[in-house]
Amino acid sequence: MFVAGIDIGSTITKIVISNGTEILASMATPTSAEHRRLAFRVMDDALASCFLSYNEIEYIVATGYGRINVPFADQQVTEITCHMRGINFLFPNVRTIIDIGGQDSKGIKVKDGKQVDFIMNDKCAAGTGRFFEQIADVLGVKLEDIGEMSLRSKNPASISSLCTVFAEQEALLRLSEGASIEDILAGIHKANASRIHSMIGKLKIEQDVAITGGGAKNLGLVRALEQRIGFPLVVPPEPLITGALGAALIARETATKLTPQQLKEKKAKRRLEAVTFFDDPKRGSEIVL
Amino acid sequence: MSADNKKGLAKAQEIYNNRGKYARSLKEQGKKVFGYFCCYPPIELLTALDIIPVRILGDMDQPVTLADNYLPPVMCIFCRSAFDLGMKGKYDYFDGFVGAHACDGAERTSFIWTNYIKTPCNFHLDIPHTAHDAAVDFFREQLEYFQKELEKFAGRDITPDELRNATMAHNRQRALVREIYSLRKPDPPLISGTEMLTVLIATMGMSVHEGNLLLEEVIQEIKQRENVHEKKSRLMIWGSLIDNAAFTELIESSGLNIVIEDTAIGTRPFWHDIRDTENPLQGIAEHYLKEVLCPRTFRDSGKNYEHDSELRFGYLKDFAKHWKVNGVFANIIRNCDIHGYEVPVIKDYLNGLGIPVLVIEQDYSTASLESLRTRFQAFAETISS
Repeated sequence: MFVAGIDIGSTITKIVISNGTEILASMATPTSAEHRRLAFRVMDDALASCFLSYNEIEYIVATGYGRINVPFADQQVTEITCHMRGINFLFPNVRTIIDIGGQDSKGIKVKDGKQVDFIMNDKCAAGTGRFFEQIADVLGVKLEDIGEMSLRSKNPASISSLCTVFAEQEALLRLSEGASIEDILAGIHKANASRIHSMIGKLKIEQDVAITGGGAKNLGLVRALEQRIGFPLVVPPEPLITGALGAALIARETATKLTPQQLKEKKAKRRLEAVTFFDDPKRGSEIVL
Repeated sequence: MSADNKKGLAKAQEIYNNRGKYARSLKEQGKKVFGYFCCYPPIELLTALDIIPVRILGDMDQPVTLADNYLPPVMCIFCRSAFDLGMKGKYDYFDGFVGAHACDGAERTSFIWTNYIKTPCNFHLDIPHTAHDAAVDFFREQLEYFQKELEKFAGRDITPDELRNATMAHNRQRALVREIYSLRKPDPPLISGTEMLTVLIATMGMSVHEGNLLLEEVIQEIKQRENVHEKKSRLMIWGSLIDNAAFTELIESSGLNIVIEDTAIGTRPFWHDIRDTENPLQGIAEHYLKEVLCPRTFRDSGKNYEHDSELRFGYLKDFAKHWKVNGVFANIIRNCDIHGYEVPVIKDYLNGLGIPVLVIEQDYSTASLESLRTRFQAFAETISS
């Protein structure tokens, strides 16, 4: 049985196609305002990469910020449940999950394979991917380099503000005082780790703790968080796709509960076309593959 | 107005949508209308003088603009919104204003209301923050002042019988509201959280007698109609009030049925009756201080943390049991200190009973509601698994 999970995040769209026991194809491409609508093209690419046709996929679960009204998905599930399922599949001993996404960060508590509590950041870029994008931009370095660079610091600069705008100002101030970019980055990572830690702390952190999402690819952030929390974090081999993986797992679980007739009826309703966020079917159908 | 031709839920909806218009139509009929803050001012005294009590609410649809010149933005946005509406003339039909030292936000707002919003009659009710006997005595005295002020306004005295009758009518209202709550015990409930909200807000803008008629109509209607609601996970709301149906609609379209709400537009004003005492003000004072359970009143704590939690929140355990609650949403309007302070202990207590809790601090704005959908859906997924 082939199933798929699609995670339309604020920054990256991720797809996992699975045969129920292993990942056949996975894909992660940047989401932009327009690309988010065109997530069905990413779906098409992912299908092509594992030589499957759209109709061979028995069940598709959409998740993430853009999950609403995905015409080619059979079900929508929040990214909180999907990340939990993905991580639980990879690391059954994990009790606390930290997800650092493009525009939000979350904490999820797991018990016996079920989520028992969660928390999300509140209308603030601190502790999210966007924060690091801004800082990299201000300092003129590549986003993918900032983590490693921060680890080379011997004397982290003090960054007191966690507001993206003020932290930017503070970073520039430290720069003008002669601090090195490495030291500033180390300070920035430390400050964000502290922010994330105090948010997750409300859930009562229990081991093992996993980190996922784009933020897990930032080694500087992972180390800063480990230092703050006091023990090592579990990092999935590909942190971007745990939400899509969870969605695929839910897809499989749901599909096995349905009769072939029910699956057929579900499939008949699917349309491989643009995502319409505001329930405007006309707008979606203008785009042909 | 058109509400006259409607009955039950349709009438409640009509009045909910046009509170100001409805209150103005009452004035055209020669009625006196008083605005009051939160669920602490004893509206029985207003009813005794045939004055119609209208609960002052904010408006989640409208950005706060004028109020920012008078109240700091770090203050509870519900209070700021209500004051903003006052400044914009939305409550210019009030013949009187009853402010209250309910929480600090309501106290400040009440105080500057009397400075900047010119209502013919103003009263600031001093409500003590404990429920000890001395506090009850003090509050009863405050109610005497309140009564005298109202009598001065009306140009006549309230007889003990009038006050007793008014109290009985409000007790009847309390019983009717509790009856509707009991119709939310079945699964699915016979009335949604959104419908309940419109009914309660409608009754908080009309005379107690009309309100009781409306409640009777609603009870009859929801008992008779084909059940229109589907089964979903059952949610209890605790915390700051919700006064906009867009919020309850968001929650109920995210896989949850609201079955009970321990808030100021929920169980709190209705859960206990006022006792008939020799001096009617004694029973009224005791009821408001001891039985309206908003954390603005400090209650005697127990021997230790667990005992204290049990004494203060044991009633939530009963709600959860009888309304078969799957999870609790702790609603905190940003900067609502009194509810915010209780979050860690409420969460601990309910989690200890095996009840999951979703805490959201929100901005009291319909424009920012949609971003909360993921949390409600994820919570629904959590408690249904």
